[in-house]
Amino acid sequence: MSSKILTFTLNGETIRVVVEPTDMLADVLRDKLNLIGVKKGCGQGECGACTVIMNGDAVTSCIIPALKAEGAVVETIEGIGGPGKYHPLQESFMDLGAIQCGFCTPGMIMSAKALLDKNEQPTREEIREAISGNICRCTGYVKIEKAVSTAAEKIREGK
Amino acid sequence: MKNYNVVGQSVRRLDAAEKATGTAVFSSDFTLPGMLYGKVLRSPYAHARIVSIDTTEAEKLPGVKAVVTYKNTPREIFNTSATMTFTVPALKPVLDQYIFDSVVRYVGDEVAAVAAVSEKLAEEALKLIKVEYEELPAVFDPLEAMKPEAPDIHANCKEGKNIIGEIIKIPMGDVEKGFKECDLVIEKRFKLPIVKQVQMETQAAVAQVEVNGKITVWSTTQTPHPTRMILAKIFGVPNSKIRVLNPPYVGGGFGVRIGLSAKAEPIAVALAMQAGKPVRVIYSREEDFMASDTRHGGYVTVKLGAKKDGTFHALDLKAALNGGAYCSFSTETPGVLGAMGLAVYRIPNQSYYGHSVYTNVTPAGAMRGFGNPQAMFPIESVVDMMAEELGMDPLELRLKNIMRAGDPWCLPYPCQSTGLAECIERGAKSIGWERRGSLNQPGAKKLRGIGVGVGTHVSNSWPFCVDYDNAIVTVQQDGSIHLASGVPDIGTGTSTALPQLAAEVLGVGLEEVSLTFGDTLSTPFDIGSHASRTLYAAGTAVVAAAEDAKRQILEYAADFLKVSPERLEIKDSLIYITGRELGEDCAGTGVCKTGEERISVTLQELAYHAHLRNKQFIGVGRIVPENAPPWHAHFAEVEVDTETGQVKVIRVAAAHDVGKAINPVIVEGQIEGGVLQGVGYAVSEEIVHDAKGRPLHNSLHKYLLPTAEDIPEIDAIIVEASDPSGPFGAKGVGETGLVPTAGAIANAVYNATGVRFYEIPMTEEKVFRALSAAKNSTC
Repeated sequence: MSSKILTFTLNGETIRVVVEPTDMLADVLRDKLNLIGVKKGCGQGECGACTVIMNGDAVTSCIIPALKAEGAVVETIEGIGGPGKYHPLQESFMDLGAIQCGFCTPGMIMSAKALLDKNEQPTREEIREAISGNICRCTGYVKIEKAVSTAAEKIREGK
Repeated sequence: MKNYNVVGQSVRRLDAAEKATGTAVFSSDFTLPGMLYGKVLRSPYAHARIVSIDTTEAEKLPGVKAVVTYKNTPREIFNTSATMTFTVPALKPVLDQYIFDSVVRYVGDEVAAVAAVSEKLAEEALKLIKVEYEELPAVFDPLEAMKPEAPDIHANCKEGKNIIGEIIKIPMGDVEKGFKECDLVIEKRFKLPIVKQVQMETQAAVAQVEVNGKITVWSTTQTPHPTRMILAKIFGVPNSKIRVLNPPYVGGGFGVRIGLSAKAEPIAVALAMQAGKPVRVIYSREEDFMASDTRHGGYVTVKLGAKKDGTFHALDLKAALNGGAYCSFSTETPGVLGAMGLAVYRIPNQSYYGHSVYTNVTPAGAMRGFGNPQAMFPIESVVDMMAEELGMDPLELRLKNIMRAGDPWCLPYPCQSTGLAECIERGAKSIGWERRGSLNQPGAKKLRGIGVGVGTHVSNSWPFCVDYDNAIVTVQQDGSIHLASGVPDIGTGTSTALPQLAAEVLGVGLEEVSLTFGDTLSTPFDIGSHASRTLYAAGTAVVAAAEDAKRQILEYAADFLKVSPERLEIKDSLIYITGRELGEDCAGTGVCKTGEERISVTLQELAYHAHLRNKQFIGVGRIVPENAPPWHAHFAEVEVDTETGQVKVIRVAAAHDVGKAINPVIVEGQIEGGVLQGVGYAVSEEIVHDAKGRPLHNSLHKYLLPTAEDIPEIDAIIVEASDPSGPFGAKGVGETGLVPTAGAIANAVYNATGVRFYEIPMTEEKVFRALSAAKNSTC
């Protein structure tokens, strides 16, 4: 098996990167593109820390073969906002105490963003379902759930 | 109540922005130029002797730079937990581990490690290592392991077959006589599961060994300074030549890395020494499950005696815990189990007898609550049974017997504060305790119930273990503040709350304070983050350092303003003369004329004024913390599906006496997270082993921890019974959310179904079977 060039859109930019057919997307993002916001907590798609948005859906990038991203549009935590222009989810996570150790935070925010991108008025159950694949061992999810619903409100108000 | 400017405010965490943008660096993100990747070969057997080990094929694989086994690594005996640096004489730390040994004692035990240019190559090389094992008899249950016919797992057991270290005995009064004087005695044995911290970041370390022999280790440890001491001992290097630091963030801990991060640090160092290049070792999730400390499972027996009027008169507590294959915190955990179990109620006659036992499973060590949850699920179950026998309301019985400030107790420091009665009252109100007994319609398939559990904990580990803190506050030449504390921030908010304390004492805004933490090179010695101590104990050192710096500032300012220092105060970085109207003072404008009478000066101007005269204000805090009991009462409402056996926790009211909430939102987060871990402990989490000692729950898919879809409504209630020993009255809170939860849930399940569980977790299968058995016995 030989190396291939993967071309895809990452956080709004066209990226070309050499990958091995056995590489997983999370490893390419972390190791080759230095996006350390893509966390690895299990490598088996079970903890959600590596969640990114691919073509509009939240996916666990540690079990997505990198070559599956050919031509895809991929968003990571690094692409959704930062100082001066935080995403409403980032703001509400920071303001409402939804962050503790922070290891699950990027994946959690990306799962929540995939939900809010499609549904700006999610019910409590829809929020819980959207983040049910993201394990957080610190917060008990209480403030995370509140941060997601508050961000949804902000997004609705902003329109 | 005193008004504070920064303390008591739910300011946004200072690490929030980094963590919300994905820029926060954790050990597992850390890389160095030329870094190699380390992987570990682990034992497939629960107990075996290594007859031969051949690494030649692995060494030949191109890209492999180091292979280490017991043959080429230090034969220095140690203990992965910080107990080897904590243990107070006359007790001696139990040392029973090597980096690698010629005997393996559990499935997952370290056999060899490889460093290669890629992770995949390192994994490939592991497969080329040929190991011949001679299987030895193995034992997995602590009671079985104490039997004469059980295999000896270590040779160092002085107190009895496979008993680890000392047996902990806590006597108080005369229990034998006490029980004779009781009207009612209840005795029950409880079985507790092995569970796991499952912190989100697995064990990780990056080691660099320089040509001059200096060693730097970036790792996930909760205790950088003690970890440095352990590494120094293993590798025979002076403490001063080793630097251990967090990068600076740690993806959770919950006790699993008090001391080393399992063996990530020494394996990385051993590989780096041999390869002459930096090496990173990151445990896979499966390795983290199999080869890093668990919570002690085992058996706890409670014997409680009371008078007819409900007065508790005698308590006998016994524990035999499963310590696993090596001693981590296996003497301290049963110690805390006993000490905390005996400290909740005022009972004149008490005794405790407890210890851990070696078995051939993953070593058990520290996990949030540290023995206390193992005490309180049994005790609170028996207290509820006693209430029923006495025909008393469980709350009334508890309120009658709980410890009060000033009461004698078994602990070697005084009980100076308790807000437990207030916790019980406010928690009962929140859950609607009066609804108890009228929650279910006749014939309902889903039954509701409400239960309570209470308890206490510590705010650090003194005087049980070595426990001291240092902090340095340096006023910079521009008047901003630098704070150095050796504690890490494992997610609990230390790196926000400690600056809050310093800002409050110094009278400056929080934005003026920056913190260096979790690094042995740039911070003074600190024991680290464990025992719910970080805010309480490291915070006490921070307050002392800030007060020292403030004293220096005011002394200098007194000369500057030509008044005595006692007349000066600082607010918003302005030093002013108390009682004098500031009016048109020039300090605020920054333009003061020479010779003008000054009644205030900014810290910025003063610090630079001092700098020009060769002086800097440097405050040092060096403290040994006292100790203080946080208190808590949890109320759980559950719904038991009698057709499936599922226990659904609907609501938890969690009232906690934290002394003083320095940052209330952070405190709530600690409580909520602890509650949910407690829910998992009560109803779903456990690690079970097969007949060969292989863990059946070694992934997140198999280990059933609560997800967002399992969360009850949680009402975190903060009670503030200020303790004179804590910074601004604060006590510990990190662990307490987990402590009473399982007891409250078990009591709620009993209230719902009339079936009492003596074993957790109360899984669907167990509950279904128990309900069926109860039904059959009544038919």
